[in-house]
Amino acid sequence: MNSIAVRSAISGLVLLLIAAWAWSLSSEPSARNLVFSLLTGTVFGIVLQRARFCFLCNFRDFLDDRDPWGLIAIAVALGVGAILYFSVMMAWVPVPQPDRLPPNAHVGPVGWVLGVGAFVFGLGMAISGSCLSAHFYRLGEGSPTSPFALLGAALGFLLGFLTWNPLYLASISESRPIWLPFQLGYAGALAATLAILAVVVVVLFAAGRWSPRPALAPGVPALGRAVFVDRWPAVVGGLFIAAISAIYYLRVAPLGVTAELGSLVRTAGTSLEILPGTLLGLDTLRGCATAVKETLLSPNGLLVVGLVLGSFAAAFGAGQFRPTLPTGAQIAKGLAGGVLMGWGAMVSLGCTVGVLLSGIHAGAMSGWVFLFFCTFGVWLGLVAMRRFGWR
Amino acid sequence: MTLTKTTAFAFGTLLAGAAHAAEPLVTADWVAENLDNPKVRVFEVSVDTGVYERGHIPGAVNLNWHTDLVDPVKRDIAQREAFQALLRDAGVDKDTTIVLYGDNNNWFAAWGAWVFDVYGLGDQVALLDGGRKLWEAKGLPFDTAPVDHADSAIELPERNNALRARLNDVLDAAEGRADVKLVDIRSNDEYTGKVFAPEGVKELSVRAGHVPNAVNVPWGKIVNADGTFKSSDEIKAIYAEVGIDGSAPVITYCRIGERSSHTWFALKRILGYDARNYDGSWTEYGNAVGVPVVNVAGTVWTGK
Repeated sequence: MNSIAVRSAISGLVLLLIAAWAWSLSSEPSARNLVFSLLTGTVFGIVLQRARFCFLCNFRDFLDDRDPWGLIAIAVALGVGAILYFSVMMAWVPVPQPDRLPPNAHVGPVGWVLGVGAFVFGLGMAISGSCLSAHFYRLGEGSPTSPFALLGAALGFLLGFLTWNPLYLASISESRPIWLPFQLGYAGALAATLAILAVVVVVLFAAGRWSPRPALAPGVPALGRAVFVDRWPAVVGGLFIAAISAIYYLRVAPLGVTAELGSLVRTAGTSLEILPGTLLGLDTLRGCATAVKETLLSPNGLLVVGLVLGSFAAAFGAGQFRPTLPTGAQIAKGLAGGVLMGWGAMVSLGCTVGVLLSGIHAGAMSGWVFLFFCTFGVWLGLVAMRRFGWR
Repeated sequence: MTLTKTTAFAFGTLLAGAAHAAEPLVTADWVAENLDNPKVRVFEVSVDTGVYERGHIPGAVNLNWHTDLVDPVKRDIAQREAFQALLRDAGVDKDTTIVLYGDNNNWFAAWGAWVFDVYGLGDQVALLDGGRKLWEAKGLPFDTAPVDHADSAIELPERNNALRARLNDVLDAAEGRADVKLVDIRSNDEYTGKVFAPEGVKELSVRAGHVPNAVNVPWGKIVNADGTFKSSDEIKAIYAEVGIDGSAPVITYCRIGERSSHTWFALKRILGYDARNYDGSWTEYGNAVGVPVVNVAGTVWTGK
């Protein structure tokens, strides 16, 4: 019987198993980043699931129902995360200088390839029903589309690697990373970031339609339900995401969810000799780095695995783990959208997390460019899907 | 225990500021005790980005080997003006004890020690034995606060190129015109020519093998499991076995000249031999036209 007790027990068991795994990894001193990544990923997955922090559905809620809360959550995550990130960067690089970007920060090259990649990624989001990070957490909810979207994304990454060299020579090699603190100073860059987000929030407040939150079901303790079953308030989700992003940057690296997927594809493609022997300049650029894998466990791999498991634990406890058999349409949309997202994420060096979130937090122009073109792609994709009756 | 050896080098009694040659190695404990000593300046030279920023020895200054220790345009060590500005900013003076440490077995810290040597500060430099890894393993603290030391007005001399081996010096040794010993510190597979370079590295040579007359002593042979150097007696014995006993000058090389500075440090600073580092190393020699090469394995570039 799927009672609350059984659900809680299984959720707790999953979390316990993750903890045991982390414990077993922690014997090596060099494994600290691995353990930290697994645990951060787990918390990230729980937060994404509980707050339903999905770039696409938040946008669609607003487009369809004028519900602004999801987008406000994103704005809060971006603004608060930027404040936290800036305090880290100001300690690491006290005086912003050219050619001295803050270590590892995702300050990507800005050029037309980034715009096209972000736009295509947005189209893929609209078609598949989620961005890549959300497909990972939906995997934990038993989504029928997500496995195919991730499969498609792997294929998209392969296409990305195959088209990389001509794109690099045509544009990326001449695209420079633009780090706003270098142009505007830390104070100016942070003020500009917060000002833009404030304008967005004001517009959302003005254009949004406000519906009262559903009343709590009788018989369930209100707090427990609010934490474990109901969707978290937007601001709470946003604050958690901001903190996770900054803490992970401080300890390990900027957040990103595509590095491991890309690395797996690159390793397979290289060993099968499908990919070019050299991917020009790729390993010197900032973003979700893909590398030919030499070890089984990587920080990014464990972050993503933790994300899926954490989301599963959260979804199961909330009674939101509902696996269903996929329909033909779901398979087709997942694969098609996934391919577009994979290609877009490869040529943009990341996705809504790695480029948009981690980029805007770090004061990178690449994050804003991705936000703009990705939103345009999502909007066009949703409108087209509706026009042709595909949803 | 490895620390018994390092106690031999521990110089808690060192009079900081005394203008005498520093001991080549300092222990983590010694560094921990001297963190507030104004005459001791600690530098981290790590190769992985973000390692220093996420936690460094309190007060340590970051040296980026891609930009601070080399000329970013031509293949050369850092230019005098740039390096001098950096040392002034870090508050290094003529009487400062300079302690270097880093990740990856201190390879790049040793490279740093060699650059300091070329600029006349070699006698003031010590390596933190065991590097970052041992500091961490001993549970000593890291700090993430930015550091800003009072500037100094140090004047660096012009670089002393006699401390540096160039292609011609290596050729003289290879062709028997000079009584100089060559040490190839790369892996045996690189030395014998089975492989051009370790897997995954970008800098390559179009010929495999080694310089004639070079002996092969992979760098790791003189290092303990915890990353500290073996005792000077052990190191001396390891080199004596291949005919290097300090009676003739030595040139060390590797692929790009950075691991070989680790061996250079042991030979010159720990054993006191006349040793030079060949920073052009195999990526210069193995690409040079017309130079003699020993290629035991017979591997041919792009050959099938």
